[in-house]
Amino acid sequence: MTSTEQIGLNKTWELSLYELHRTPQDVIVDNTEIAVSPRSLHSELMCPICLDMLKKTMTTKECLHRFCSDCIITALRSGNKECPTCRKKLVSKRSLRPDPNFDLLISKIYPSRDEYEAHQERVLAKLNKSHSQAALVNSITEGIKLQNQNRPNRSRKNNEEQRGEAAGESRPNSENTSTENTQNAPSNTTNITASTTSTTTPPTTSTTTTNANPNPNPGLPSPAPQSGRSTPSQPPSPVSSNVSSISKSLGKRPKSNLTSERSEESESSERTEQTDTEGEGPSEPMTLNEIELVFKPHPTEMAGDNQLVKALKENSIRYIKTTANATVDHLHKYLAMRLTLDLDSQLSQTHHLLNFCIYISPTAGQYVQLNGNQTLGQVNDRYWKVNKPLEMFYSWKKT
Amino acid sequence: MAQNVDPHYAQRSDNAKHNEEGRNNPNDSHAVTKRLQKELMTLMMSQEKGVSAFPEGENLFRWIGTISGPNDTVYETQRYKLCLQFPNSYPYTAPFVKFITPCFHPNIDNNGNICLDILKDKWSALYDVRTILLSIQSLLGEPNIDSPLNALAAELWSKPEEYRKHVLDTYKQV
Repeated sequence: MTSTEQIGLNKTWELSLYELHRTPQDVIVDNTEIAVSPRSLHSELMCPICLDMLKKTMTTKECLHRFCSDCIITALRSGNKECPTCRKKLVSKRSLRPDPNFDLLISKIYPSRDEYEAHQERVLAKLNKSHSQAALVNSITEGIKLQNQNRPNRSRKNNEEQRGEAAGESRPNSENTSTENTQNAPSNTTNITASTTSTTTPPTTSTTTTNANPNPNPGLPSPAPQSGRSTPSQPPSPVSSNVSSISKSLGKRPKSNLTSERSEESESSERTEQTDTEGEGPSEPMTLNEIELVFKPHPTEMAGDNQLVKALKENSIRYIKTTANATVDHLHKYLAMRLTLDLDSQLSQTHHLLNFCIYISPTAGQYVQLNGNQTLGQVNDRYWKVNKPLEMFYSWKKT
Repeated sequence: MAQNVDPHYAQRSDNAKHNEEGRNNPNDSHAVTKRLQKELMTLMMSQEKGVSAFPEGENLFRWIGTISGPNDTVYETQRYKLCLQFPNSYPYTAPFVKFITPCFHPNIDNNGNICLDILKDKWSALYDVRTILLSIQSLLGEPNIDSPLNALAAELWSKPEEYRKHVLDTYKQV
C-alpha cells in the first residue's frame, strides 16, 4: 500500500512566527467600517465535508475543527475514527462538542439562511443544466466569440476566464455578507491579518485559520489544504478587518482611502473580478498562497528617538499574514490604518502618520524602496527567496 | 451539551432538527449531487495546472480526470486520463479511481488499478476530486516500490533509462 502518511505522523505542530505573536484583538467600538471579502468568510463558515454552510456546528474537542453535526457523525460512523481534517483520533461522538455560539454567529451573518440556500439551489440547478460537455463547448465558443468582439488582443488567460464564467453561469454573488461589501467589490481576497506583540492588536478575523503549513504535497495529511487547520482562534466576527475602508472620524483622516482603493482595484486585472464574482461557491482559489511577513521600523530613517517609534514602543514590530497577491499598497493602507487606530490617544496629528515608505533589505545594510503596485508574491520572489518570513521596513514619508 | 448553551437557542435548534430530518440523510443522493456540483464549480473556476476533471456525459457520478505527468520525472511529457466513479456514500467513502491511459508504474497495474492509501483505508471525507488527482500526480513521481502492483516497474525504478523506455512504450494516447 502506498503511503502518503509518513510525514504527517512525524509532523510537529510548530507555530509560525505570526502565530507566536498573535493575540486577542480589541473590539472596534467606534463606527470604523471594515470590509471582509465574502470569499474569505465563506471558508470559515463552510463545512469541509458537505461544502455547505455549517449546520448545527460541532467542534472537535482537541483539534478544534468544525463540521456540521450530521456530516461529522456520518463520517465517524462510516470511516476511520479520526478527524477528517487533521487525522487526530476521535474516539466517539464524545470527542465532539456542539458549538452553538458559532451557529449564532452564522445566523447573525446570514440572517435568512433559507433564502441563501434557495439561492444556492438555483445556482447549482443552473450549473447542472450546463454541465454537460455540449453545454460547456457551447459556452466556450460563445465566450470566445464575445471575446473576439470585445477585445481582439486579449491573451489566452482571458479565454479561461470567459470559460469559467460562461460555463458555470455560476455567479451566486448576491450573497455578499455585508452590504458595503457588495458596493466595494471587487475587494479582492487580500485581507491582512496582523498581530503585534501587545494586546492592542488589529481586529482582524477572516484569514486566521488557513493553514500555516502550506503543504507542498497534496497527498499529505491535511486533506483540504485550504480549510486546513483552524487554529484555536476566535471565529470570524462580523467586525473584522480588511485594509479598505475607514469612516472613523473622517475629520482628521483622509477619507480618500475608500475611494482610492476602489479605483485602484478596478484596474487591478480582471482576474480579481472573476474570482470575486463567484462569491459564494466553495470557490476559494485553493492555490492561493499565503505570506507571512515581519514589519520593522527602518533602522536609520526611524531611529530610536523617532516620535512614532517612541509612541509604538514594542509595538513597532508588526507580524502580518496575508495573501501573496496583496500589494505593497495594501501594506501602506494597513500601516496607515493600524497605526492610527493604535495611537489615537497618543498622537494628535495623526494625519502625519498616514504616509509611509516601505523597504526591503536584500542584503545587510541595503534598503530598497518598494513600489506600491508590486504584490508580496513578486517582492518575495524578487528580493527575498529564502524560506523564512519576509522582512520589510517602514518609515514615514518625508513630505 | 455544553453548559453555556443559551436555552432559547437550544430550543430553537430542537425545532430546526425536526424540519431537517430526512434532508440530511447520508444516503440521500441529493446531498451527494450537491457536493459533486460544488466540486465541479470549484474546479472550473480554479486555474489548477496539471489536473482537470469533468463529468462524463450526463452522469454526475462518473467523471473523467486528466493528469499531466509531474515535471522532472519520466512522466513529464505525458498526459493520463483517469476515470472516477462516485458511490452514493461519497464523500464518506472514496470514489473508485482507475487509469484509462495505460501507465507503467510500480503502484498501478495493467488494468489501471491504483494502489494508494488515501483511496482505501486512509480516505477522509475532506478529499475531493482535485486533491485525489493531485495525490495521484505526485504518486507518479514518488512510487512506493515496497508494495508494488507492477513488480517489473518496481524493479526497474532504480534504472532510469530502462524505466523511461517502458513508460514510453506503455503510454498510448487514448
